[in-house]
Amino acid sequence: MRTPRRRRRRARIIIPVASMADIAFQLIIFFMICSNFARDAGISVQPPPAPNLERLRESRTAVAIDAQGRIYVQGRRMPDARSVETEVAELLRRAQTPDARTVLFRCDRAAERDLFEPVMDAITRAGGIIAAVGEPEEKQR
Amino acid sequence: MLRRERRQYGLDDIPVASFSDIAFLLIIFFILTTTLVATRGFLTDFPAGQRSEKQDEKKATTVTLRDGKVLLNNSPVDIPTLRKELRALNLRDRTGDDKVVMLESAGRVEYREYFQVMAAVTQAGGTLCIVRETGGD
Repeated sequence: MRTPRRRRRRARIIIPVASMADIAFQLIIFFMICSNFARDAGISVQPPPAPNLERLRESRTAVAIDAQGRIYVQGRRMPDARSVETEVAELLRRAQTPDARTVLFRCDRAAERDLFEPVMDAITRAGGIIAAVGEPEEKQR
Repeated sequence: MLRRERRQYGLDDIPVASFSDIAFLLIIFFILTTTLVATRGFLTDFPAGQRSEKQDEKKATTVTLRDGKVLLNNSPVDIPTLRKELRALNLRDRTGDDKVVMLESAGRVEYREYFQVMAAVTQAGGTLCIVRETGGD
């Protein structure tokens, strides 16, 4: 008779899970703030290879030229290099530091000179510092 | 009576038990859909300006790209040799205009070659200057 009574009196162990949601939401907020969202995602570019490339910081401004020769600024299609200059100048209008003036330039390796040179020139004229994106040569082998 | 009913059925409490599940599902979704990319390349701050008649072109090192060929001061070189030659020039220790390397291109030139020359000049510590025909605009 005594043994079952003692079992009934034993306290139930409750794990407090009320703060789990707070922790999880704080993690989500942390990841969202620390993330840099790619502005030219979905644009098919095969960067050229070169050795000893340094790691580039993420930039707020991105210009890309894809394999078909289409020009993009911040993922938006541009008709020509002149529009790139206007668009980049507008984006860099409030840029004060060299870091803020950096323009991530992703260009397909097969792009022709007549296409990429005016775009690079346009970025420079707009006051941007070109961060040319490449692929480490070690990967190729 | 009313109080008793509320206590009995827990009407005052908002059910938050599923909140953590939702949050963790969101985290898992973000982790699975995120691609971590380390962007690699180099920085080039091209000096903007126009070529003047008085400019002493003989002093500046010139790299020319013409129809798939690379010329360093008019002598044909391949990319590894160009890297060596540029390193030998000690551009990093130079100042002002002596650091300048002119990059000229003509004919059919792909970005792949152009990029490799730009990378070689930048890594050697030179200031890259692109020479472009503007057609008088």
